[in-house]
This record gives sequence, structure tokens and C-alpha cells, in this order.
Amino acid sequence: MKRLTKYLEGRKLAVALMILVGAGNAAAQTGGWLIVRSAIDHGIVAKNSHYLAIAVAIYLVVAAVGWILQAFLIRGLARIGQAIVIGLRRDLFDHLTGLSLRYFSQQKAGWIIARLTSDVDAVSDTLSQGMPTLVSNVILLPTAVAALLIADWRLGLIAFVVLPPALILSRWFQRVSHIANVEQRNRIAAVTAQIAESVSGMAVVQAFNRERRFQAEFDALNAANREQATYVQKIFSVFFPSIEFLGVLAMASVVYFGSHLYQHHTLTIGTLITAIYLLQLVFQPLQELSDVYGQLQSAAAAMVKIASILDEESEIQDRPDAPVLPRIEGDLDVDSVVFAYGKDPVLHGVSFHMKPGSCFALVGESGHGKSTLARLIGRHYDPDQGAVHVDGHDLRDVELRSYRRQLGVVLQDPFLFSGTIASNIRFAKPDATDAEVEGAAAAVGVDRVAARLSGGLDHEVREGGAGLSSGERQLISIARALLADPRILVLDEATSNIDRPTEVLIELALDRLLKGRTSIIIAHRLSTVRRADEILVVENGQITQRGSERELLAQDGPFRRLAHALEGGEPELAAAG
Amino acid sequence: MSTYVNPVDPPDLGLLPTFRRLLPLWWAERRLGFFGLACSLVYVLISIAIPVLIQQAIDHSIDATHHQHLKPLWPYLAIIVVLGAGRFVINFNRRFATARIGVRIEARMRELLYQAYLRYPRAFYDRHATGQVLSRATNDLYPIRYFIGWGLVQGMQSIMMIIGVGIVLVLVNPLLALYTAVALPPITWLTFRFARRVSPISREVQERKGDVTEAADEAVVGIEMVQAFGRENDIRERFGDKAEGVRATVLRQAGIESRHLPGLYYLPGLSIAAVLFFGGRAHIHHQLTIGQFVLFETLLLQLVWPLEALGWITNLAQRALASAGRSFAWLEGIHPLPEPAEPRHLPEKPQPLEVRFEKVGFAYGGEVDVLHDLELVIEPGEIVAVCGPTGAGKTSLLNLLPRFYDPTAGRVLIGGVDTRDLPIAELRADVALVTQRPVLFSVPLKENILSGREDEDWEKALAAAVASGVDSFGPGLPDGYDTLIGERGVNLSGGQRQRTALARALATGARVVVLDDPLSAVDTFTERRLVARLRPALAGRTVLVATQRLSTVEIADRAVVLLDGRIVESGKPKDLIQAGGPFAKLFRDEVVAA
Repeated sequence: MKRLTKYLEGRKLAVALMILVGAGNAAAQTGGWLIVRSAIDHGIVAKNSHYLAIAVAIYLVVAAVGWILQAFLIRGLARIGQAIVIGLRRDLFDHLTGLSLRYFSQQKAGWIIARLTSDVDAVSDTLSQGMPTLVSNVILLPTAVAALLIADWRLGLIAFVVLPPALILSRWFQRVSHIANVEQRNRIAAVTAQIAESVSGMAVVQAFNRERRFQAEFDALNAANREQATYVQKIFSVFFPSIEFLGVLAMASVVYFGSHLYQHHTLTIGTLITAIYLLQLVFQPLQELSDVYGQLQSAAAAMVKIASILDEESEIQDRPDAPVLPRIEGDLDVDSVVFAYGKDPVLHGVSFHMKPGSCFALVGESGHGKSTLARLIGRHYDPDQGAVHVDGHDLRDVELRSYRRQLGVVLQDPFLFSGTIASNIRFAKPDATDAEVEGAAAAVGVDRVAARLSGGLDHEVREGGAGLSSGERQLISIARALLADPRILVLDEATSNIDRPTEVLIELALDRLLKGRTSIIIAHRLSTVRRADEILVVENGQITQRGSERELLAQDGPFRRLAHALEGGEPELAAAG
Repeated sequence: MSTYVNPVDPPDLGLLPTFRRLLPLWWAERRLGFFGLACSLVYVLISIAIPVLIQQAIDHSIDATHHQHLKPLWPYLAIIVVLGAGRFVINFNRRFATARIGVRIEARMRELLYQAYLRYPRAFYDRHATGQVLSRATNDLYPIRYFIGWGLVQGMQSIMMIIGVGIVLVLVNPLLALYTAVALPPITWLTFRFARRVSPISREVQERKGDVTEAADEAVVGIEMVQAFGRENDIRERFGDKAEGVRATVLRQAGIESRHLPGLYYLPGLSIAAVLFFGGRAHIHHQLTIGQFVLFETLLLQLVWPLEALGWITNLAQRALASAGRSFAWLEGIHPLPEPAEPRHLPEKPQPLEVRFEKVGFAYGGEVDVLHDLELVIEPGEIVAVCGPTGAGKTSLLNLLPRFYDPTAGRVLIGGVDTRDLPIAELRADVALVTQRPVLFSVPLKENILSGREDEDWEKALAAAVASGVDSFGPGLPDGYDTLIGERGVNLSGGQRQRTALARALATGARVVVLDDPLSAVDTFTERRLVARLRPALAGRTVLVATQRLSTVEIADRAVVLLDGRIVESGKPKDLIQAGGPFAKLFRDEVVAA
């Protein structure tokens, strides 16, 4: 709640105004009945047609004012509510994008996205739909009781007799229906997950004849959901009719006591009649508030989860006085770096130095620390011990963004954003001219890929790059890196998972890309590794061997074993070639 | 063909045909339905009786202006309280009965759809996005549930209430009834208009929220790229725009609400004022008792909700019928893969099976041919690698074997039998498949591997796990082979997923194995080890493997090259390299490099 009120800064006046408007609206609703009372007593019973006409006219004016106030209230509260929501959503997103990769590797993507969407939506729905109901009814309930007391305090007391059971009933309903609704949401979520999983994996379900098994699982979930939905309906079916019954009891009591007072001439007939209707105004907010209660609960639950992200501190942060890194030469020094994701270190004291413009290849089996090393160089993580220096600056001492702008990365599974091919290339340098984008595309052969697609470079890429082969996506991501004109370049398995003809294209593109930049290549193919000035073999988080390909092959060491594994798989073919 | 109807995307059904199909579903629950309607009738009668009794009480036991002798008040009140209690019971039963119909029909529709989903052909899933298929069986069903579970009976009840109240008012004072009905048409009109305007905008709000989801999804999935290029601010701006879109639409929705809802709240005031004014004057002229005056006020207020409800229900009915129309169109218009009329059977196990493609042509839904006149025979127990550039038709060829698609020309024979003459379950039990992007389910690793085996014999499956290299990571997971996989459990890497899918395929006793680039995400070193282990595991099976990598071709007895939908070269990989033809061109660089 405290988090939400901070977005109200500068809107305090608007909030105060809305409370006033809400009070005015409640006054119009209850006040209307007090006018009805005097119209009955002084107009109808007193047989004063003139008075009656005036009272009716005033009544209509009050209703019109109430109408306008309520319209004002709905809009005003929506405005305030949405101001909070957009502030919250942006802050959450900004905060999130500033968190380090460690957070994203620990939390599942689906979980994070749900915070940004369904949770913020829950808060939003409550603020935009629940808030008007909440505000007007919270004000209306006491106003109606007050009006009842003003009309006649003795009849007003009846409200205090019927109100407690109604409140207890509402409390019961709120509690029970909340629990039931939460369970209902869980069950429908399970049904949805089952359908989603089967639909996206339908090829496998069908290929392995699993239809009956899936049907049985689904039937059980669907039945469980149906039972819970029925139970929820039962609770609702009990609550609203029982409030209705309490209303009848209250009315009967008003008529009973009212008639006594009337017989003793201490109550007018007009007061008796209006008391009946005012009592209904006491019950109505109870029902509506009970309806909103569930929404409030789920919004509160959503806020707790949102807060858990906002409380997450990024471990990669600029020092307060971190200087902007000027254009670098590209001298890279990895100095005795130790790093662990959890308890067990992945890197045990790795050191190497690269001169500007040189190219190193990291080879070794998966899971031995190559990608981790690449991420330390990109400062996605900070080393636990040791340091990474660029042009003599410790990465932790310079402004992160000014460093990353000079860094280019090409990953194994290149991620494309929705938009055109051109906008994906431009991603790395938003202010690039069309000519620059075309130049980068042409330099790495994306223009040829684009030529066969409708719209060329303006071809719409669907999210994730569906519709393009992985090789084509990789070419685009290389063009992106080229446009960024980085000083240091990291290629993490950029050429795996690609068919050979496309790979040849990519190799050509890499020649362009690597020229004049300090580059680190992680690769499995000897053809890719071979272009490096020096090859570092990474084993169990350490560099166990380094040198040129020829030097390494000459030694009896891990590289020869790796190369043998690479070649050994196809001795006949290699001989044939 | 001008009247081409896509067999997997039939047009939605109209309102009337949809209604005819919904009716039987309702009829299955008719006992609850008629019970609910009967309760409605009693509810309306009691709801009218109570104000009438109040009127009687006021006129005969309270207001002394007309009578010298007042009747006792308590009998009236006693009857009112008893009726109130009775109405509580009736109302509970009505609500619960009708709500149950809605819940049951929703569950039934979902069941029908899911049943159908499990049997729809691949072409259906090519055509429709997952989200659409999913929402048709979830969110789209809610209007149907509310309409049937609430709208139908509430609508009838509203009409009964309007008629009942109308009769009473006219009987008491016809002229006054006419005057005081002044607010009722505008209320109905306003509700109807509101319902019509608010539903497109609330759909738009949902769409805008969808944009936000998409933007969030991209940013989270692509976060490494974003951070690596220091582009956080752009992506924030982009997300901010989408969030702004939601805000603008929500505010427009609030605008529509503010123009309609207060009216619904205050319009009944017109009727109250009319009763006050005209009824008051009638009382002054001794044409109306105070009790009757109260009766008018009470009954008019009691009409407000039924009138509003009619507006809502009309709109709800339209939405419900539209979404049911879409669902029924799928249920009736899309046919699952047909089972053979006179099924034939595969030769008894363990005899290995021959796979034969005879003059096979294939095209996706009326588009250009992917395969033409393709001839290919795979001897029983032979392993054949299918090579070719991206888009050559490798995956399409493989997908014909488990009958994900049927050829548009020619035929596919397994063990000498046309695949279309085999019962689908029998065919698929003997064709094990590893798809390009492996799909695993959110169940323990062990169950994923076992999911192709009916007998769930873990000992045999474990051998498959070893042959596929699952043993190199499986035992190391938090709970070993019992570790839960997927969103709620452990996320496996691409290579690990592929190996698991491979193990699943090998664990079946299938005599035909279809592998679509099964090791593309496995690193090269692991791949070498696997290729050596896989050969013995595949012995006795007829295997078709599509691949981009020469190292995987290694596993095969023979390689064929697929180019433009035809087999252009076939032979031992070693011979093909020397021949210097298309195969050699595909892999030349890799050979030189090695």
C-alpha cells in the first residue's frame, strides 16, 4: 500500500477532491429520500400541492447533481488509479531490466512476466473498477445510517440491530468466498496449463499415442474445476438471498415500531415510509463491498509478489561516481578471476591478457566455464575474486552502459525482437541512418536473405524470429553487432546449430565483423577456432592449455584430445576429403 | 475452386444454428433448468406479494384516515417474514440450480473441445496459434457459462417480474401506472447501449494488455541482448508506450462507464418523482391511499434491476452465441484423421519393417508442392540419413511416416502396408519420432522417458536413457530421474532436452524410428560420444534421420540428398563425398576443416 501511495505525490488535491465528490454523491442519494419524506409529510399528507411540486422539483435537481457527481467520480478515480498503475508498471519494468543476468537465470521467465502483466492487471482492475465501488459505498454506508438517524433516531436504532448480523454475514462471505475463489483460480489454472501443454506438445502426444492418458488427466482436472466452481456458486447463492432476507426483517421491524410511534403521534407517515427505503441503502453497500472484497484480496496478493521484484537489488550497479568510459582501444585483461553461481566455483583463477585487435578462441566441453567467462567480460556478473580490466580500467569502476556500448555480443540462439529486419539490426544503434543499416546488412549478407522475403529489410519478423531459419537469424544478429561497431566482441557458439551452407555465409560475415576488434570466440568447430590468434582450452574452470593451433596439436594435451574427438568421429570421411 | 473451405478453418456458425446446438446441452440439464424456472416464478410472486402486504398493512392497520377500526398489524408482518424466509430458500435454489447448469455446460464444452484437440490433424495446429486454441477452451467459454447459468433464467424471471408488476400497478391505478413508467424505457435503452459499447472497449483493453505481455515477454526473454548492447532505455520506452496504450484504453472505458452507469443509478429517480408528484396529487384528491402510494414506489424500484438485467442479457446472449458458434464450427467442421474402413496390420514383431515412399507428392494446404514424385526405399533395419539445405522438405518427408500429414500424391508404405490402411494407434506405436524442437512434458524426467512405453518398464527404458546420453546429466539432477521437468521444475538445456526426447523414442519398442535433426543442440564432443552409442541401440530398427551435420550422418548406412522435393543422390556417405556431387557440396567445408 505504501508503495502505491508514492505514485499519488502531486495528486493529493485530486484525491481529496474525489473524496469530496464521493461524499456529495452519497449525500445526494440519501438526501433524495429526506426530500421524499418532507414531500409526503408537508405536501401529500398536508394536502399542499404547491409544496409537493417544489419538493419534487428539488428532488429532481438533487438527483441530477448526484448523476453528475457520480460521473465525475468514475472518471476521476479511473484517472488517479491509472496514474498509479502506469507508475507501478514502468518502475517495475525499469527495475527489472536493470537486474543482473543472475536474477533472470534463477527466476523462470514465465514467473517474471506474470508479475509485469497479470499481477499489475489485478492491481489495475481493482483500482479502476473496484475503487469507484469501494469509495462510493464506504461513504454511502455511514451516510445512509446517518440519514436514518436524522429522519428518526428511534427507527435509526433498528439499523444497529440488523446491521451486526449483516456485517457478520458479510465477513463470513468475504472470508469463505476469498478462499474458494483462490482455489478456483488454482484449479482453472491447472486446467489451462494442461490444455496449453497438450496443444504445444500435440505432435508428441499424438506420435506416442498418449491421447487417452492426456484425456484422463484433463478429465480429472476439469471435474475438479467444475466441483470448485459449483461450490463457489453455492456460497454466492447463499449470501445474496440471505442479505435480502435480512432486508425483509429490517423492513418488518421498521413497519412494526414505526406504526407504534405513528399511533402515538411521535412519527410522521413520511418518515416511516422513507425509513423503509433508507434501510435498503444500508444493505446495498454491504453487498457491493462484499463483491469488491475478493478483488482487493487478489490485488493485495499481487502487490506482495510485485514487491518481491522491486525489493530485489541488482548486484551489478554503477558506483556513484563511476566515470564514463571513453572510446577504448580494446586491451582486455582477465586477472585471476574466481566466480561461483552458488557455492561451488565455476571459474578457479582464470587469467589471460589480450592486446587490442587480437582474437582468442575458448574451447572445451560444455559446462566447463566458457560462457561464464564471456559473461564476466560483458559484466553480466562481477567476479568473486580477481578482476576484469579494459584498457587498464577495472570494469567495476566504470559506468556500465558506457562500457557495454563498446561491446558486441553474438549468442548461439540469436534473439530477434518483433519488428522489421531493419529495426532488429538498428537495435544496437537506434540513431543509425538507413544507409548505415543497409551497409551493415550488405556487409554480412543479410541483404541476400532479405531479398527473398517480402518487403526486403522491412520484412516483419515475428516475435522470436519465427519464420526465419536459425542461420538467417544469426546473420541478422551479426549485422546488428557490426552496426554497433564494438571495440570488444564476444561470439558465444555463434555458429553452432546452423546448416553448413549458411555457416559458410556466416564465416564470411565474421571476417568482416572481427577485423580490428578484440574478439573472443567460443566454438566447437575447428574451422571457426582456427581463425583465432591464440586458443585457450578451458577445463573445469581453468585454462589448462594455450597457444596457436599448431603448437597445441604438437603437444600431448587436452587440445589434441578435443581435436581428436572432433576429427575422430569421421576418420573415413576426413581421409576421403 | 471459388468455394474452397479450409478443412481446418471452417467458418463460424450463425446465431440460429448455434442456438440449435446449445439447446441439447441445456436439455441434458433440463431438470435443473425447469426447477430453476419454477423457483423464478415463485420468487416473482413472493416479491410482488410482500409490497402488496405492506400496502394492506399501511392502509388497514396504520393509516387511520380512512378507517375507524384498525386491524391488528402483526398478522401482516408475520406473513411477510414467513414469505421472506420462503423467498430466501427459493432464491437460493434458483441461483444454485441455474449456476450449476452453467458450470456443467462450461465443463462439458471444454471436454468436447479438448477431446477434439487430441484428435485434430497437424494441419489444424499449423493454422491456429496456440493462444487461440487455448482461449477457445477457456476464456471464450465464460460468456456461454454466464448466459446459460444466469442469463437465460434471469431473463425469464425479469420478464415475469415486469409483467407481474405491470398487472398489479394497472389494477391499482392505471393512469398513475402510465405516468410512473416514464423512467423505465430510458433505463432499458441506456443499459442496452452501455452493454453494447462497453464490450468492444473491454475487448480492446484485453488486446492492449496483450501488447504489454508481448513487450514484457520480449524484454525478459531477450534480456541478455538488451543488456549486452546497453539498450535498456529503448526497451523501457517501448514498454512504456504499450503501458500507456492500456492506460488510454482503460480511461476511455471509464469515460463510457461515466456516461452510462450514473444514469442507471439515478434514472429510477424520475419514476420516484413521478409517483411523488402524480401519486401525491391523487392522494390529495382521495384517489390513492398512502399504502398504494408506497406500493407504487416499492414496485417501481423493484423493476429497475430486471430491466437492467434484460439489457445485459441481450448483450451476453450475443457474445455467448458468437463464441459458442466458433466452438461448434470447430467441433463439427474439423475432422480428425480418418481411421481406415478396412484396417490392415503390420507384420508380427520382431520382424524389421521396410519403409517405402512411392511417387510421393506433398503440399501444405493448397500451396506449392514440397515433395514431388519422391521415390525412396529403406530396407528393413537400414539407417538412412536425409540431407539437404534448409527448406528442402526433410521435415515434411519425415512427418509423413507417423501420418502427421498424408501425401497429396503417391503413397507411403510401412512393412508393405499403406500407412492409411493401418489403425492410427498401431502405426504410431511402431513409429517413434524425435522432433526438431523437442517437446517434454511437465512431469518427472523418468515419466518423460517412459511416456512412449505402455508397460512402463524402467529397466528397458534406462538402457535407452544410457544410449541417448541422458545418463550423463539425469542422475546429477536434484532428484535424479525423478526430477520434475519444465516451468514448474528444472529447465533442461536444449541439448539435454534433445537427448531426453531421443531416449523417449528409443524406449518404445517401435521398429521404425524417425529422427529430425536429433542432436542439433548437443555440443560437438557429446555428439561424437552419442553417435557411437546410438548405432547398437538402433540395431534391428529401420531409421530415417534428417540432419545438418556430417557427424550425425556418420550413424547412417546410407545417405540421400533431398533437393527441391526430390531425392537427387543416394549412396554410402564415403562414396558420396568422393563423387563430388550435391552431398559433397553440402559438407565439403566441414570435411576440409576436419
